[in-house]
Amino acid sequence: MTTTPVSPAIATNKRPVTTQRLGSWLIYLVVSLYFLIPLAATFYWSLRGKKDVLSFEAYRKLFADTSFLPAFSQSIINAIATIFLCLLIVVPTAYWVTLRLPKLRPVVEFITLLPFVIPAVVLVFGIIRLYSAPPLLFTATYNSSRVVLICVYVCLSFPYMFRSVDNGLRAIDVRTLTEAAQSLGANWVTILFRVIFPNLRVALLSGALLTFAIVIGELTIALYMAQHTLGPYMSDLTRSKVYEPSAMAIVAFAITWAAMGIIDFVGRGASRQAQKTEAE
Amino acid sequence: MKSNTNNSRSVNSTVGGAKRPPRIPIGHWLGVLPFFVFSGMFLIAPTLVLAYRSLEGPEGGLTLDNYRQLASDTVMNSYGMSIKISLTTAILGGLIGFVIAWVVSMGGLPPRFRLITTTFSGVAANFAGVPLATAYVFTLGRVGLVTALFKMFGVNLYKTGFSLYSFFGLTLVYLYFQIPLMVLTILPALDGLKREWREAAENLGATQIQYWRYVALPVLTPSILGTMILLFGNSFGAHATAYALTGGLFDLATLLIGRQISGDVLHNPGLGYAVAMGMVFIMAFSIFIYSILQRRSERWLK
Amino acid sequence: MNKKFAFQLFALFVIAATVLSACGGAAVATEAPVAATEAPVVATEAPVIATEAPVVDPMAALYEAAKGEGMLTTIALPRDWCNYEAVFNGFKAKYPGIEVNELNPGAGSGDEIEAIKANKNNTGPQAPDVIDVGLAFGPSAKADGLIQPYKVATWNDIPDSAKDAEGYWYGDYYGVLSFSVNTVEVANPPVEYADLLKPEYNGQVALSGDPLASNAAILTVWAAGLSTGATGDAAAQAGLEYFKKLNEAGNFVPIDGNSKTVGIGETPVMIDWNYNSMLNNVNLAGNPEVVTNVPTKGSLAGVYVQAISAYAPHPNAAKLWMEYLYSDEGQLAWASGFCYPIRYNAMMAAGTVPADLAAQLPSTEGAFFPTIDEINAAKAIITTGWPTVVGVTVEKPAP
Repeated sequence: MTTTPVSPAIATNKRPVTTQRLGSWLIYLVVSLYFLIPLAATFYWSLRGKKDVLSFEAYRKLFADTSFLPAFSQSIINAIATIFLCLLIVVPTAYWVTLRLPKLRPVVEFITLLPFVIPAVVLVFGIIRLYSAPPLLFTATYNSSRVVLICVYVCLSFPYMFRSVDNGLRAIDVRTLTEAAQSLGANWVTILFRVIFPNLRVALLSGALLTFAIVIGELTIALYMAQHTLGPYMSDLTRSKVYEPSAMAIVAFAITWAAMGIIDFVGRGASRQAQKTEAE
Repeated sequence: MKSNTNNSRSVNSTVGGAKRPPRIPIGHWLGVLPFFVFSGMFLIAPTLVLAYRSLEGPEGGLTLDNYRQLASDTVMNSYGMSIKISLTTAILGGLIGFVIAWVVSMGGLPPRFRLITTTFSGVAANFAGVPLATAYVFTLGRVGLVTALFKMFGVNLYKTGFSLYSFFGLTLVYLYFQIPLMVLTILPALDGLKREWREAAENLGATQIQYWRYVALPVLTPSILGTMILLFGNSFGAHATAYALTGGLFDLATLLIGRQISGDVLHNPGLGYAVAMGMVFIMAFSIFIYSILQRRSERWLK
Repeated sequence: MNKKFAFQLFALFVIAATVLSACGGAAVATEAPVAATEAPVVATEAPVIATEAPVVDPMAALYEAAKGEGMLTTIALPRDWCNYEAVFNGFKAKYPGIEVNELNPGAGSGDEIEAIKANKNNTGPQAPDVIDVGLAFGPSAKADGLIQPYKVATWNDIPDSAKDAEGYWYGDYYGVLSFSVNTVEVANPPVEYADLLKPEYNGQVALSGDPLASNAAILTVWAAGLSTGATGDAAAQAGLEYFKKLNEAGNFVPIDGNSKTVGIGETPVMIDWNYNSMLNNVNLAGNPEVVTNVPTKGSLAGVYVQAISAYAPHPNAAKLWMEYLYSDEGQLAWASGFCYPIRYNAMMAAGTVPADLAAQLPSTEGAFFPTIDEINAAKAIITTGWPTVVGVTVEKPAP
């Protein structure tokens, strides 16, 4: 190992760093425009509630509707329950498939991608057919149907959660970590919850955000399961009104942003804590 | 890592050197049991119902006729179109998403941008469906904001042959949720690129390009491939956005299914279910190809 | 551990927020401003009901039975379609104690049939009791054994051509196809189908749906053909040719038109049922103003039918609902939504239609009322011909 190449190597890399930074800003700007312009257009139209004048009329009408908040809070609760369940199921599965059952990987991957190819309307009718008669009678009441809904959402989140977790597991050296933990005498529960989960923070966060997004806006299954969540509410609004749906989109955007910000913040708070303990 | 695999191999070989099939402890199966129970109850069972109903004829009774109709022009065209748009948006979305993920994680931007990007990505992924289609009508439709802007500069977008209601338009709209999906899912993998590797490569005199070509990309390829197939599936199964934007006049498999099962005009649900089963097979085939590619890319990692 | 705690905290916060907000709102949708504008028109005929009530005795027993069931599940009934808003409100006011569970207002006829099939064993809130479907779906649903017969008290007022002799399905309302025009974007609203081909409407004309999935859209294609003077099957073919010309002229906008796309001017001329267009104008309250022009050539009327599911979990509530729909009150509620109630002719003869309601309905003079067989024949031609003749399978990239 020679030491002389070090100085020239660092020197030549300094210039690419600044052009690299400029390039990064440029790319970020262009892509941001792509994402922000449609939102700006939606916002502009939401202000056209009153003739010839820009006003918040559409927003006023939206908030005057008393069925908006209950629908929204139902969706939020469903989303949180789904995230928890999905995490608990997917992480051990991905872990075991990576470490001990690699032959199962294609099967598991296929199953996690099934939600994409079963149309939602077909899925919900299948679910109703299966679970509407004794002994598997789960659709009799609103609340029992809600539980079924959450279970279906968990499955719908599999593709996103599994892919995130899988990417995360690849990024950390799972085998070595496991062996190290085992040699220290840890059992599999400890390994999972005190070694694997904390190291997958970023991946879990990504998966959680995507799951949240799916559950909040899901439409078809909630509709046919007769659930009063945000999806059906928004769909109703869109069908009949002209300006309120844009206001609805902006409001949903803002509230979802806030919720995701909280999830992100919470996740990062935990990671800062974990990093502190690691450093010590 | 090597020692582990040697151990399991020694467990499996008998005294005479013959191989015994590897015994997987029951405990390992328990770890994946919840997954299989859930997916069994809420994914696989309905798929079986779907398969059964795809064999139903319009007058009841079982028939293979629906599957025979799969070979018709209409259905084949719709599969082709769905695959085309899914491939396009998967590759484009994958590339752009990867670049953005790289930009916010190691591109030299302030760390706050990463938080903004991930949060926004989560929200943008939700924006699919009617709100997204409407937003694009507001933007690039005939009375859209950007169209009006172009008009101010004397350019009539729609006279140039551009139309939001086309393959190009649909791709543009799909990318709105494909890119964030890629960003969010590939970020964990990018985080796994250790700084030490970068520094070691620099120490050995590697340039940026060489680092990426020989170190970073090979490590990332399995994750990139996996995420791209996620994007492919996401686009393949998309229905609401396409329906809202094209009014069902576009030939996609999901729209075809909707017409047969939900519409007011045609009513051959058995055919709809058969087309859906066809989609399941296409997806399975894609995964098959993906796992071959993935195994190849993982080889050097071992 | 910190992360878990934080998650629990967040969950608690959200649960608290939910509980607090749930205390306020009900789960079922509430009356939107539209009711306010329609109420005066509906209320005027309340005195008429008062004189009828003593005669309608069987309803009391039915009402008790329905109350015992406690719930009615409907499907595919948008509140702004024929002013179902007023219908729901009127029903709930007249028969309190029955919860009305509105499933999927946006469902298509196929969805409704599938919903009955999927919920055969289900007595939960997902199973529809009553359906409102396109005319052609009545006989097919009967053949599949999905609906049960019931003849309402006013059965004889329903024209024979719009009902099943055995009482399985029965027409409920009808309207005529019309041009819904955004007057801000379009200075000179078109009046006839021939007008739509003119260059001044370039990039402005849309259907209200996919001709392969929407009842109104496919009837529009047929109507356009009828406007050229052709009849029957030839009209269906003529309709396809018409839309081919429309598309080649660049006047056709290949997206699903709806009240929103008309309102913002994306599809400034949309062909849809008169009642949707007129109600849209009321909702928009002049922002912008939407006119509804019914063409004189090629005017086509479309009937929808009601039926009770054979597997209805609440059959008595379903029957009570039907009785309400076909009572004067129910029929006039539809009229307030600019629909022709099916008992219109009988009610006009009996003088039970208020003059102002009758005045706001469009003319059906010269309108063609197709039979089920005629519709099915035209449907077959148009659905097979549309992809190839009109060829609006947009932008097939070169293989």
